[in-house]
Amino acid sequence: MDMTYAGAESKVARRKRSAIARYAAPYLFISPWILGFLFFTLGPLVFSLTMSFYDWPVVGERTFVGLENYRSMLFEDPQFWESLWITVKFAAIYVPFNIVMSFLLALMLHHITFASGFFRTAFYLPSVISGVALVTIWSWIYSREYGLLNFMLSFVGIDGPNWLGDPNLAIVAIIIASLWGLGGTMLILLTGLKAIPKELYEAATVSGVPGWAQMVFITLPMLGPMLLFTFITSIISAFQQLTIALLLTKGGPLGSTYFFAMYIYDNAFKYFDMGYAAAGSWVMFIIVLLLSLGVMRWSAAWVYYEGEVRENDGDRNA
Amino acid sequence: MLNRKSIIGSLMVLAMAGTATARAEETLRFATWDTDESLAIQQEIAKKFEEKHPGVKVQVEPYADGYDQKLIAAFGAGNPPDVMYMWNFPQYYTSLKPLDDLIAKDAAELKPDDFPQGLMNTVRVEGKTYGMPSGFTTQVVFYNKDMFAKAGVEEPKDGWTWDDLRAKAAKFRDEPNKVYGFAVDAKPDPYDFEQFLWSNGTKYISDDGKKIDGYMNSDAAAQVLDMFADMAKKQEAITLNLGDDTSGSTLFKGGKIAMFQSAMWSKSGIDASGIKYGVAPLPKFGDKTAHSALGVSAISIAKDAAHPDLAWEFVKFFSSPEAVAMRVNDLPVRTSVAEEKGMTKDPIYKPFFDILATSNTETHAFLKNANWGKVQDNLARAIEATMIDQGNAKQHLDDAVNRSKRLIK
Repeated sequence: MDMTYAGAESKVARRKRSAIARYAAPYLFISPWILGFLFFTLGPLVFSLTMSFYDWPVVGERTFVGLENYRSMLFEDPQFWESLWITVKFAAIYVPFNIVMSFLLALMLHHITFASGFFRTAFYLPSVISGVALVTIWSWIYSREYGLLNFMLSFVGIDGPNWLGDPNLAIVAIIIASLWGLGGTMLILLTGLKAIPKELYEAATVSGVPGWAQMVFITLPMLGPMLLFTFITSIISAFQQLTIALLLTKGGPLGSTYFFAMYIYDNAFKYFDMGYAAAGSWVMFIIVLLLSLGVMRWSAAWVYYEGEVRENDGDRNA
Repeated sequence: MLNRKSIIGSLMVLAMAGTATARAEETLRFATWDTDESLAIQQEIAKKFEEKHPGVKVQVEPYADGYDQKLIAAFGAGNPPDVMYMWNFPQYYTSLKPLDDLIAKDAAELKPDDFPQGLMNTVRVEGKTYGMPSGFTTQVVFYNKDMFAKAGVEEPKDGWTWDDLRAKAAKFRDEPNKVYGFAVDAKPDPYDFEQFLWSNGTKYISDDGKKIDGYMNSDAAAQVLDMFADMAKKQEAITLNLGDDTSGSTLFKGGKIAMFQSAMWSKSGIDASGIKYGVAPLPKFGDKTAHSALGVSAISIAKDAAHPDLAWEFVKFFSSPEAVAMRVNDLPVRTSVAEEKGMTKDPIYKPFFDILATSNTETHAFLKNANWGKVQDNLARAIEATMIDQGNAKQHLDDAVNRSKRLIK
């Protein structure tokens, strides 16, 4: 009896222990991520928010100024609005181009049967090149006197413009250079295309649905979530545009490519005004957040998730 | 089993040995922005200092590009180098050690009077000295002797004016071959550019650092800018830095421009190119006195230096005639060294020194106002706009002043 009792007790203990293990183990497994998040994301996030309420030079006294950084940025600093406007213009052109061109490329690669692996690599490769190398290449391409682009144009009798020296053209040059990286977006869309069940097309073909209609009623809806994802990430990367402008044009000529991220960068690392720069980053965060939320909201109108049941769908089934 | 005690024992011995060597050898950290040959010179000087101070090790930290970012990060983290190169005194002076008392104490050895006043002006903030000049350059005009001879143009002389320069430059214009007389920088460093305003009787900002309206956008300032834009328009000069990064020194070394305004930092490259060149002083505006910007490398001590006494010893040695004479990539900051080397008489070096005498009357704008960095960017844009526009300087400068008003209080 004693033994049985002892055995029962140990069983309870064991069960208790295993319960702890059962609950703790998963957290233990994801702890590297949790720690990383705390130290490298949440920590700096809180830190930068604090910073944004201070006059925070790197060297010297820090003083609490409340919302002063935000106030003077929004109401007194013309540079803020100008750089924001340039960024919005850039995004308005870059984002649609990035998605449409990636989509067309993905579509092409999806249907290509000849050396498809080679073409996929070839189109994806440019997006792997690091920012600095990319910019070096483009500065050769755009060079007025010795550039590849103007050299090509000279064959068709066009006297090439000063791409990076003309305030109206420099932003175009940056958009083109940025589109160089669309391989990443293309790959996501290509994956999406591959995942669309063939039966849908077969059924449509059998029913005599023409190609364009298959595109509109099958491909695009099925690709919806992927398009939404690339839409949002494109907006984010457009707002974070820094490397190319910083290295290719340094924001010039005449500030025509002075992006919002560069404005933040300059405040932080050129004027060493960390509080002001932190406030700028938070403004950017809020803008991007609002835009993303807006897109998510709007996406309900055009993104269809497989297996999703909608209210009016019910009516149709009834 | 390996004896645990013996392991602990040997670890302790090792630890003790470590502290012992650390005590015997003091390490002085010295940060510099120099690279290549200039860096080699610093390392040479550091080695000489080590020889004179047995047991001291100088750790030369070459931050190169992004010097300021790295230095300010070191200050921000509370771990600055003991001794460092310095130029932006308004930015850092609160973290630097004032040197006036030390200079006075060691005046007999240091001989502060040997340093030209103009150079000392660049290391002072609010009347206190925060560094010692270690090398400098003024601005000059390099000219290609062969091109002048071939075109039959008379070489520049002392006391020449901008009108003279323009007249000469016009004679070199050869559009099909892209050869020009001069080069105008569309994005000059505003720091250096102020020399032209000084030479034309104005400046960026009032001496008390509180007023830019009527200075930066004065008629005299606009006149300077319009002149450069007009030179580009009439193709007396090629415009640099308009979306192209071909440098003036590259064009000059390649025989594409006959005259090139620059400073000591271009000289070694031009020497290496093997072209025959002469050096002329900066031209004057009419009969006004020409002034030059001063590019000064100085050396400073961090307020919280780990080895303050040793740091001062190092600064003293760095400023000694011996060390100053070793710096061949810029100009000697000691008058005695320059004279001893015969540089003040040498036709190549003489123009650099001549203008120094007239360049101690003005103070660079950034030493007058803490917000200058931001103002300067608006100004740089006005200069660039004038070059792209090929004129209308007044309008662009007015715009820069309006944008900067909130920063000047």
